Amino acid sequence: MSFDERFDVIVIGAGHAGCEAASAAARMGAQTALVTLNLDLIGQMSCNPAVGGIAKGHIVREIDALGGIMGRVIDRTGIQFRLLNRSRGPAVQAPRAQADRSLYRTEMRHTLEATPNLHLRQGLVVDFIIKDGQIRGVELQDTRRLRAESVVVATGTFLNGLIHTGRRTYTAGRAGEPASIDLANSLKQQGFPVGRLKTGTPPRLDGRTIDWDQFEPQPADERPTPFSFQTQAIEQPQVTCFIGYTDERLHNVIRSNIHESPLYSGQIKSIGPRYCPSIEDKVVKFPDKNRHQLFLEPEGHNTTEVYLNGFSTSMPAELQQDLVRLIPGLEEARIIRPGYAIEYDFVDPRELTPFLQTQRVRGLFFAGQINGTTGYEEAACQGLIAGINAALFAQNKEGFRLRREESYIGVLIDDLITHGVDEPYRMFTSRAEHRLSLRHDTADTRLSPYGHDLGLLGDSEWEHFNERRLRLSNLRNLLESTKFSKSDSEYAPLRQQVGESLGESISLAQLSHRPNVTPSILYDCLPASTRNSFSLVDLETVLADLLYSGYIDAQRASLDRLYSHDALPIPTTLDFRSISGLSHEMAERLERVRPVTFGAARRIPGLTPAAASLLLVYLKLRRAA
Amino acid sequence: MPASDAIVALSTPPGRSGIGVIRLSGAQALELTRKLLRKEQFAPEPNRVTLQPIVDPDSGEIVDRALVTYFQAPHSFTGEDVVELSCHGSPVLLLHVMDALLLFGARPATPGEFTLRAHANGRLSLSQAEAVRDLIDARTHAAVRQAARQLGGELSARLQPLKDELLNIIVPLESALEFVEDDLPDLVFERIDAQLSRLLFELENMAATYRSGRLLKEGLNVAIVGRPNVGKSSIFNHLLDNDRAIVTSIPGTTRDSLSELINVSGVPFLLTDTAGVRTSDDPIEQIGIERTRRTIADADLVVIVLDGTQEFSREDRKILADLGEVRHLIVLNKMDLPEFKPANGAELNGSKVLSISAKTGDGFAEFRAAMLEPFVAGGFNEGGFLISNARHYDLLRRTTNALRSSKELVGLKRSEDLILVGLYEALRCLGEITGETTPEDVLSQIFATFCIGK
Repeated sequence: MSFDERFDVIVIGAGHAGCEAASAAARMGAQTALVTLNLDLIGQMSCNPAVGGIAKGHIVREIDALGGIMGRVIDRTGIQFRLLNRSRGPAVQAPRAQADRSLYRTEMRHTLEATPNLHLRQGLVVDFIIKDGQIRGVELQDTRRLRAESVVVATGTFLNGLIHTGRRTYTAGRAGEPASIDLANSLKQQGFPVGRLKTGTPPRLDGRTIDWDQFEPQPADERPTPFSFQTQAIEQPQVTCFIGYTDERLHNVIRSNIHESPLYSGQIKSIGPRYCPSIEDKVVKFPDKNRHQLFLEPEGHNTTEVYLNGFSTSMPAELQQDLVRLIPGLEEARIIRPGYAIEYDFVDPRELTPFLQTQRVRGLFFAGQINGTTGYEEAACQGLIAGINAALFAQNKEGFRLRREESYIGVLIDDLITHGVDEPYRMFTSRAEHRLSLRHDTADTRLSPYGHDLGLLGDSEWEHFNERRLRLSNLRNLLESTKFSKSDSEYAPLRQQVGESLGESISLAQLSHRPNVTPSILYDCLPASTRNSFSLVDLETVLADLLYSGYIDAQRASLDRLYSHDALPIPTTLDFRSISGLSHEMAERLERVRPVTFGAARRIPGLTPAAASLLLVYLKLRRAA
Repeated sequence: MPASDAIVALSTPPGRSGIGVIRLSGAQALELTRKLLRKEQFAPEPNRVTLQPIVDPDSGEIVDRALVTYFQAPHSFTGEDVVELSCHGSPVLLLHVMDALLLFGARPATPGEFTLRAHANGRLSLSQAEAVRDLIDARTHAAVRQAARQLGGELSARLQPLKDELLNIIVPLESALEFVEDDLPDLVFERIDAQLSRLLFELENMAATYRSGRLLKEGLNVAIVGRPNVGKSSIFNHLLDNDRAIVTSIPGTTRDSLSELINVSGVPFLLTDTAGVRTSDDPIEQIGIERTRRTIADADLVVIVLDGTQEFSREDRKILADLGEVRHLIVLNKMDLPEFKPANGAELNGSKVLSISAKTGDGFAEFRAAMLEPFVAGGFNEGGFLISNARHYDLLRRTTNALRSSKELVGLKRSEDLILVGLYEALRCLGEITGETTPEDVLSQIFATFCIGK
């Protein structure tokens, strides 16, 4: 069989999953081709121009800690940084940034082009080349054939993409780009169970036609929280976003035109993300709410385009214009690009191993929306894991996986491959049972050692990590050892500031548990001679460790009790049908997933607790025997 | 092992009886029955009893005629095909039939395996499965009623609204974390605080029934102690006589055992008549006295019998002194006699004293009430729903502890992520009671405490 070019790894699609996959594989030494339909749209943010948010921001920091690129790119191109949930516990705080959409693309392309072993190729993949159950390469529309040991499919919404605006439908991967029809058919031919999902996006407005004074400004944080542990400072000038509201007048017009929406006319049958509803959905499903919040988000420094966050719609384009003008402050607004809904194919992720490799075809990996997820961050982290494993596979090395208790990425992949999806999967902090230990600011301590082992963190980055680790440990000791007694001169002013008795003597660690004691008060209490070796961010991390340690211990004890058998291995040769009393249906569910531990078996959707307990009893008896 | 291999066990107690029931469960139950009956065409109508001859596989002789009932899956106790054979209750015959079934490929059931299969096939929740054992082991009507209620799914049904309420608290807290940028208004914290108070009230009430529930299930050990000839045996017999109709002998105890079960307001009392206590050098009597001492040590309540017609003796005083901290009750017997003198309080330093007559039965109603009283101080309602299982009680305690810690954090208006820790712990514990959350060792333990054939 003849090939035009040979690589170790091929990545199909240069969205957020594809970019991470290609970058990781190349940096791990694999000759990697990144094949995209349009080289000018690498790292395109097809929906809102923002990265991060609660749980999603956690993921980006984990990507960064492992040596991925999303965090660095957004830190260089973010134009409004905000730490969300600032008033809540540190475990549920997370950074979010508005991106300059065009800068983000440029920066992403630069980053990839500067990566050794990484080869950008423009083209449309139409077929897989598979031999003996093992991927061999891909074929492009222009008849080029590319050879590789492993292939990562990160095609986003392009597989059989169908766009809806009102009654008008047309095939497209994103607005203005062709869909991948042949590749979708090729997947079906391989026997992959394919389903349909839906997502949508709001209209973009001409900023010059907006009456900004009618909106409430939402400024950036004064002290931005970067995503990357390597970032020293955010250098992009920061902009303000604006908050507005819909009102009943608009809701009534939407209600009387609801039949125009393909979501309600029956034209769209697939399921969209419940957590990101269209404006039609909001009005219909929450009839008691007399207003819905909207955000006006600038698309970049050098454009007047504005993203109308919260107003996702698939109404006909001309109706969208009328609807937008019913929003107070947008009476004169003009739409530059209308919103739309898009339906696309996804593959049941229960087909995948924890390494994101398909069970059906060796060397074939899936990442991103093809696995039923939604969101750039969810896509990017799968891309990273798939890229790492595609490289490891090409190099004949053992796969890499993350556990639920050490990362959101582990939670995401475990959920996908055991539960499957019935709506686009988005990350929430509540999905992580170890939420308190998975803080965004501990992603480096949790994951950077893996990144270093894999070769994704360079020497200077590793050194940076070790310095921070040492600083945190010193700071921890300093908080324990620094004490103020009544005789100290600092005592009286401190007591006044805290507003309550401090006893004979108090350490900074003890002080941190008092109400009204903020990190900046404590920072000022650090001995002047050492204070400058620590940042306020370092202090916040150590204080959060102190805050949670008791809860984490209690929670761990409770989970350990509950999941004490999770690590029990299930022999790969076990015939589940041979387990006495286990119903045929339950045995089949187990057979389909082939869990390797009792913990994985326990979480299989649809597996009854009784079946899980039978399996447990069986495994234990077998062990005892 | 083939798919759900057939299991077999004797479902009636071992020993001679009118009938003995052999139960077979599994996909091949009917096939094995055909072999046993030597009837290849045997296709019984489900749930109908037929009389069938049973043939000895060796000799080919008919050894018994049994009533055979076929329960078709999933409409059986285990959810599988089940066949029940009611044979005549000869141990030898039953063993013979069992052996034949084993020969044809059945496997002896392990303890609790029938119930385990019922649980596995979704026929019983975990708490219902536990109720099966309680029902079988129940020693009084009240205990039977309680087990039956649990078997009927009452515990799960009572916990469900509490779990729903807990979810109602969790959901707004979680969604505040994920979707709401602003802090929750005070009003929400106050509402959650009120919801938690209600939940705690309900759960604590439920947990508080455990005292009564455990009494009903496990009963009390009561030792009757006193000098020889003060009337211990007459009192023992009198307590027994009134209850004879609903009293069973404790299995495994010999005929000359001095222990009997009686029923006091639904609570099983294991009553032990002890050897008379007196100072003696006779070695045989010494053994009896030693046994008495042990009985006293194991007793939940000691009834000290004094002769009300005699002076308080040195030996009586010694018995009382030896008791130490053991909970006890003093009865003065022979109140029917003219010489009877009511107690003089000084000697009995604060112990509860009752006057009775074993001969006439006078004072026995008060005596029974007094035996129960120390155990039901917090009220005893045998008609209400009771928590009788130690595992359930432990999980309820964990639930309320977790909820209380969350409630405290709500009062301090701490961040939702901290408040939620206890709420999830509570939800897990409630789920464990009904077996919805996750299995653990306890499951194998639960099913291992079954006798074979259940």
